[in-house]
Amino acid sequence: MTVLDWVGQEYIPQLLDGFLNPQKRVSLIYLAIAAAITIGWSLFMSGGVARKAIDHARRGLFGRHVWMSRSAHGDYKLLLANHAVLLLIAPFFVSRMAVATALFFFLTEYLPAGTAILASASPLAIAIAYTAFLFLLDDFSRFATHFALHRIPVLWAFHKVHHSAETLNPLTVYRTHPVEAIVFSFRAIAVQSVSISLFVFLFGSSVDLVSVYGVNVILFLFNATGSNLRHSHVQIRYGARVEKFLISPAQHQIHHSIDPRHRDRNFGAALAIWDWMAGSLCVADKNMELKFGLGRNQATQTHRLRYLYFSPFGELLSSGKIGINPVNLNLRDWKKNAI
Amino acid sequence: MKKGILAGVAMTIAPAIAAPAFADDAAVYGTFPVTLQGWMGPQTNSVAYTGQIARQVLHDSLKKLAGKGNGKPNAALKAEMMLYYEGKGKNRKVLAPSSKGPFIVKQKTVGEISNPNLAGKTYKGTVSGMPNNMTGPELIKFWIGKAASANKGVDMANGYNYPQLISKFILGAVFYHQAVDNYLDEKMTAGNKPNNKPYKKGKHYTGKEHSWDEAFGYFGFPAHGLKLSPSQLYAIAKRKPEAVGFADADGDGKIDLYDEMVFGPAYYAAGADKSKKTSYAQTIGKAFLDGRKLIASAGGKALTGAQLAQLNKYARVIEDNWEKTLAESTFKYAGSCFKDLKAIKANPSDSKLLGKYIKHWGELKGFALAMQTGRKNLGDTATRLNRLIGFGPVMPNSSQVTDIDSAGNYVKDQSSGINEYMGHMLKVQKLLVDKYGIKARKNDQLSGMSEMLKKLGSGSAAEND
Repeated sequence: MTVLDWVGQEYIPQLLDGFLNPQKRVSLIYLAIAAAITIGWSLFMSGGVARKAIDHARRGLFGRHVWMSRSAHGDYKLLLANHAVLLLIAPFFVSRMAVATALFFFLTEYLPAGTAILASASPLAIAIAYTAFLFLLDDFSRFATHFALHRIPVLWAFHKVHHSAETLNPLTVYRTHPVEAIVFSFRAIAVQSVSISLFVFLFGSSVDLVSVYGVNVILFLFNATGSNLRHSHVQIRYGARVEKFLISPAQHQIHHSIDPRHRDRNFGAALAIWDWMAGSLCVADKNMELKFGLGRNQATQTHRLRYLYFSPFGELLSSGKIGINPVNLNLRDWKKNAI
Repeated sequence: MKKGILAGVAMTIAPAIAAPAFADDAAVYGTFPVTLQGWMGPQTNSVAYTGQIARQVLHDSLKKLAGKGNGKPNAALKAEMMLYYEGKGKNRKVLAPSSKGPFIVKQKTVGEISNPNLAGKTYKGTVSGMPNNMTGPELIKFWIGKAASANKGVDMANGYNYPQLISKFILGAVFYHQAVDNYLDEKMTAGNKPNNKPYKKGKHYTGKEHSWDEAFGYFGFPAHGLKLSPSQLYAIAKRKPEAVGFADADGDGKIDLYDEMVFGPAYYAAGADKSKKTSYAQTIGKAFLDGRKLIASAGGKALTGAQLAQLNKYARVIEDNWEKTLAESTFKYAGSCFKDLKAIKANPSDSKLLGKYIKHWGELKGFALAMQTGRKNLGDTATRLNRLIGFGPVMPNSSQVTDIDSAGNYVKDQSSGINEYMGHMLKVQKLLVDKYGIKARKNDQLSGMSEMLKKLGSGSAAEND
């Protein structure tokens, strides 16, 4: 296969799939919904005054500064480059099926009494249980991984690439260093393998997922209710009560804020309960003036592809940071501003 | 009624379609010239495998007899089974495959084809998957004795379905064993049954021609089988009315068991091929035909080294694919047992479910033992298969046969239970996939996991929170 064949047959089709497949967060359907929510929210925030609403929406999602900034260009370059890198290294990942099968046989070996123990449960109840379990485990693992990415210096060096974004747009979700993408892959493999092997073991056969367009219904709701606005300047809040349970777009924007009070807050993806339990939750205030990035006066080179790819390695080599940072682990310090 | 009319129409038009199409066709294992040098007899066709087809019929008939018991010791039934297993009577009736509706079988007695027995060709090695170090013939005779006194051939207390055990084991211990461990093995070497001599004094075919034909006969594939789809092969074996049209190749309105019928080994190959993931029957059938053409092309001379090497390549293709059909069948019935046990757990008092489980276990055990009668020593794979499956099925009360005493009575013990045994069935499936790379995988109990993974997508590796 020539490079051109590969680009035509694999790279481009799979790149496009990312925007068409409802399993992906930036699927066009979710982006359209995010745009509609932005317009509705802008009208609401501007008291129905059209001119104000347009200005609000432009500043939040549709403006040139959102999509054409240096930072946004960095997002696009990483998206395109990562797509190629991940396509090339994916065949070397451990197979999800192999892990799921190994876990399944581990269960049958060590817990034989549990084999198909719930076989007589109703298919609907099983499907609901499986869907909920999968969502909870997936969401928790995202929180835990994200927590580790911030708290373990060697991982933070790579996760900083994501936090170097100074403007946020829905594609910032793909502003990820490839090393971090590998970490995410292992997370997904672990979650899917554990869920599937456990349920097939307990119920003795394959289990249905409650789904919409082939996507876990809960994940679909998460994506359809504006998950793309997490990476935007549209400060949608859910109110303090709801934000103890669900992470709002504004709460994730707090996570990206350079304000020291916002440091290491709101690691959660969909649910806020993990942050609440860990003491890292921070609810959103009205009209917050948030600045994003790694700090004030961030160098423009931090958006260059070469820098984004190689600076983490350089940083690790020069600092020798490979363990858990004791300063970061000072829980009292970073719990101080939690609710 | 409608089926009958359709079959009648099929029978009427079949000769018109079939006869001209298959005659002298290069894709038919039908007629090959007599190449034996110096032969002056009137024969024009050197192909002959009557003994093998007669054994296929003996096997089918024996299986039928094994299900005839009424639950009480029956010496006459046992004697009749033994007649089909090791007897030589010319007048042994064709009990199966028999005529069924418009599917009219040509032969009424086995002797019309040939007059062999099964016992003389059964695997003589020790069957390590059963107690007491029995040889193949000893094990079959032991089962015949049990079948004669079992109700319809089934022992519901110990979990044995004798017709299934006997039948599936013979598919390996006679047909597979003779083909791959005898005719396609030592008889394909230069010094054994050479091509420049008759197979036996007075025969019009050469040593290599007849050895190859005999292996073909053990596969149970119709001469025109390469022209048939897996579904058609399957329908012939099941004697379906619609099969008459494509089974009756010579258009005489009858199905000749010698060259128009599908028997056990080819039936199970076609059964796997119906999945469209494999083509065992066609691959094996083609290798047999290509090999036979190669032998014919030698014109009655001894095969050269290159010809022998090529012939052995065909033999290995046949062996590998045949072995896989046995592995596919073992896989399939391990899955059936898993499903049956699951159903029994939900409804422990249903005796029909138990009967189904015992039948499937008999097929599983028979095929697992059949796999071990080939040319190769399966080593660790055989040990694991035998340990996972055991000497008997784990019954709903967790009991399992663990031995056979000197009087031939089963010795039972408490096993670790149904749940663990269900896990064993899955391990059997995984072992067969890992060792043989089988593809059809009917009743795959782990395929659900792969479907579930597909539904979840790739996990969106680069999405960052």
